[in-house]
Amino acid sequence: MASGLAASALSASLSAGASGNVISVGTLYANTGSFATSSMPEYAGLQFWVKQVNAAGGMYVAPLKKKEHVKLVSYNDQSDPATATTLYNQLLTQNKVNVFVADFGSVLTAPAVTIAKDQKHLLFDITGSGTSFFSSGPNPYVALTSLPVSAVWPKPVVGLLSSLKIKRVAILYCQNDFDQAQAAAIKGFLSSKHLQPVYFQGVPTTQTDYSTIVQAIKGSNPQAVLEFGYPNNDIAFLNQLKSTNTHFNFVLTPFPGQLPTLFRQDVGAKALGWQYTYAVPPIMRVNKVNLGLGLNSFLAKFAPGKQSTVNFLNVAGYNAGLAIQAAFAHATSMSQLGIRAGLTAVSGKLQTLEGTFALNKAGAQVGELLPVAQMVPHGAGFQFKIVYPATNAQKAFVNGTPKYPAPKA
Amino acid sequence: MPLVVVGAVLAAGPSLYNNLAFLTTLTIYILLAQGVNIVYGFTGYLPFGFVGFFGAGIYGSSLAIVYWHVGGYAAIGLGALTSVVAAVIVSPLLRLSGAYFALATLAASQALYFIVANESWTFGESGMSLPLLFSPTALYVLSVVAVVLTLVVVVYVRDSHFGLSLRAIRSDAVSAAMAGVNVVRTRTIAWLVAAALAGVAGALWALMTSAFYAETPFDLTISVYAIVFALFGGVRTVIGPVVGAVVLYSLYQYIGISNPQYFELIYGLLIVVLVLFLPGGLTSLVGGRGDRPAWWNRVVRRRSAPEVTP
Repeated sequence: MASGLAASALSASLSAGASGNVISVGTLYANTGSFATSSMPEYAGLQFWVKQVNAAGGMYVAPLKKKEHVKLVSYNDQSDPATATTLYNQLLTQNKVNVFVADFGSVLTAPAVTIAKDQKHLLFDITGSGTSFFSSGPNPYVALTSLPVSAVWPKPVVGLLSSLKIKRVAILYCQNDFDQAQAAAIKGFLSSKHLQPVYFQGVPTTQTDYSTIVQAIKGSNPQAVLEFGYPNNDIAFLNQLKSTNTHFNFVLTPFPGQLPTLFRQDVGAKALGWQYTYAVPPIMRVNKVNLGLGLNSFLAKFAPGKQSTVNFLNVAGYNAGLAIQAAFAHATSMSQLGIRAGLTAVSGKLQTLEGTFALNKAGAQVGELLPVAQMVPHGAGFQFKIVYPATNAQKAFVNGTPKYPAPKA
Repeated sequence: MPLVVVGAVLAAGPSLYNNLAFLTTLTIYILLAQGVNIVYGFTGYLPFGFVGFFGAGIYGSSLAIVYWHVGGYAAIGLGALTSVVAAVIVSPLLRLSGAYFALATLAASQALYFIVANESWTFGESGMSLPLLFSPTALYVLSVVAVVLTLVVVVYVRDSHFGLSLRAIRSDAVSAAMAGVNVVRTRTIAWLVAAALAGVAGALWALMTSAFYAETPFDLTISVYAIVFALFGGVRTVIGPVVGAVVLYSLYQYIGISNPQYFELIYGLLIVVLVLFLPGGLTSLVGGRGDRPAWWNRVVRRRSAPEVTP
């Protein structure tokens, strides 16, 4: 009873914002808990998009043939998926938002995917690239906006290994969807060349002690070591290499490109020298766009004078907003499927600061592929140099040649 | 009477606040709080790792759906059964007591989490994805029915000879044994009943959420909330855990929506204040004088004192 009365009074005051001449976009963010460091930058990027759109007089809504302002309705899920479940539902049932946007990562996106399918409401999934979200056939109610599905990430890594004529590859991966999919993709490529990884080992995602593992990898005498983990795993693995003074000629980890400040702080710039990672924006600077700001303009406007503090997640949040903008600009009606039709219309044609936006029938992102970058020592730090593109169009971004074998730091 | 009132209030829930995910989660917490009520309130064993049974119920029902394609009702039954099996496996922990028991159950729940999270056959790596077997409304109705049936069980535990045995064990296990109570068997039955309730709660949660990763079902805050809700409402009562879950979880939702930036601060302070001034739970205010907090007895005495005229 108390819940009903309290919440109904509250929802009345909040849902007022969803009516009138605005398009309401609902989202969740986590300002505490394990996902806060990733969720908040993403949320800031989405807020920036709302500010930009409203400053320009709103976004064009095709079915209404006019511009509408955007209202962002947001709640704090505290990194808790159970809380996120009720709050996503709050956005749809009480605030009656036009579309909703998932919080960071697969764990907090999972409840939103269920609700989107169940209530047939369009979800813009920013970074929840879990395979299970997109493996049950065509799904018109979920659209992944900012990261390709995990299995296609290593495509340029495969190309780079091939170009360097590397045949002895060690693969260490964490046992989660994101990392395992990448490891399996590389293994599949090697199999197609009648090769087997010299080391192929999965470890729990909670793994932080790599002492025996590093020795075992060393014993397999690899030409390249690929470690697929989450930031904590990457940091622990790289620190193990540093503390044992272990050198490999080629080391790739996924997250230094996304969180360079964190890795500089926790691993050290020197230890990261000559290693490889994925070149996410703003390392890759796409300025030729047909919607929104190019990367350089985004950096200048998002954090004037503090451009080095901008990270990929800021870009991802903004890019989700651009996907929403494109969907409404090409929507065939104001129904959820009508808005989704707008996304289908721009798929493969939309160029944003993350590259080509392209969805498959299941709603998975298959564009926005990430090139490979090498961290080249520069003074006391390092610079990211893009050394291998994921697509022909990305060849323009290549600004370095891979240094192999990597010199000892 | 309490059964009818609780059932009626929960049935009216959607007409007052049409967020069925919230209401269904609320009923799930009522089930968990009642599980804690049985195992802690009536036997004195505080199970910090109670979430392990919840997780077992979630994975038992989910894996039955994925591998055997069972329907929703069978999944709920199998969820409860999985939790009972887990409870049988860890039942030797009942030899421990106090903090040792609490910590041992915590360790057991974490061990179960690591197994589930790291095995491919449990989809620990890729995450679980289930078909939607019930509409949100049907699932809520089902969860309200589960709450009412649970209350029947708690009424039985409170009023029966079995419940009397449990309370005797809680007061002094040695004396209870000397009086003819089979301590091991009685405790174990209470333990299994509580696990079954958590299993049902887990199965309902799995059917509601349908897409999740292992870290969510085994999140320790679920244990903490179930314990806090039971304590706040008042253990060893039928209605206490229901009141605790309804009041605190509603406040949780209200503060989370109205003041998200101060969420932890407000909610934390609230719990501290309530525990300080209402150690016996909300229901102690309407209980016998011996159950009430001293400050409440003073207030009541002052109000009911006769006027003294010269």
